[in-house]
Amino acid sequence: MHIPDGYLDWWICVAMYVISAIVIGYSIKKVRGSMEGQHIPLIGVVAAGIFAAQMLNWPIVGGTSAHFVGGALAAILLGPYAATLAMTSVLVVQCLVFGDGGITTLGANIFNMAIVDVFVGYAVYNALKKHGAIAPFLAGWLGIWLAAIACGVEIGISSTFAYKIGITVPTMAIWHGVLGVIEGLATMGVVSYIRVHHPEKMEVAA
Amino acid sequence: MKKAYVAIAVMLILAPLFAWAADLVNYSEPLENAAEEAGAEENQSYSGIFPDYTVPGLNPYISALITGFMGVAIILAVFYGVKMAKND
Repeated sequence: MHIPDGYLDWWICVAMYVISAIVIGYSIKKVRGSMEGQHIPLIGVVAAGIFAAQMLNWPIVGGTSAHFVGGALAAILLGPYAATLAMTSVLVVQCLVFGDGGITTLGANIFNMAIVDVFVGYAVYNALKKHGAIAPFLAGWLGIWLAAIACGVEIGISSTFAYKIGITVPTMAIWHGVLGVIEGLATMGVVSYIRVHHPEKMEVAA
Repeated sequence: MKKAYVAIAVMLILAPLFAWAADLVNYSEPLENAAEEAGAEENQSYSGIFPDYTVPGLNPYISALITGFMGVAIILAVFYGVKMAKND
């Protein structure tokens, strides 16, 4: 879901940079106010774990593949503001060091995967957390699904895609709607494990 | 925390295996499918220091292994750096 350079019109790139910068700035403020210094390495470990998980491209018969994105998982473990910072650090390293996702489109990639996935995942988890494992499952699934739809809208209103928003949104929504089940299951698995074995680590920033 | 580092190391060691398996099914991501359907082309002007997780001169699987550890090290260094700066 990492958008490369050339996919988005310049004004979309600029708008996405502005929105993402505002949310990141606000997140830094929130994390500074609510988190102890000792928790910062925990954000780093979650970010490092998500980077490592994204290295694993799960091949799916029929010629497609998907990797775990992890925004919802980060939000459940860290709270949404620290999760946005963790996901942003992953996307910046992927972009600058490994050329995964374009520089002009970095704002949009941060918006989709470090903001939409994170805050949607967090909202879904919070609304359903009394209902057990269904909460992290739906958080992971819906987080990635809406991130994919946001991505579909951004490319669909760009000239490179000939403004074919009627094609791009359904393509992204259908594919990631199906692949999102894997994201949901992985999110559920990790959250259940941590809740049982390390309950003190759940949402340190809350 | 120790278990988390072990889990990260295991994923990184498995990365080359996944790279190989993904090649086997000739994979593409949904975003690439959408680009193909709409006739869009990417135009990457900057491709990173290690483009697409490859190290020049090394085969893609060893590259995946090395770049994985590199990425994790950079991210951890950033956050531990922030913590040290905060403690001063």
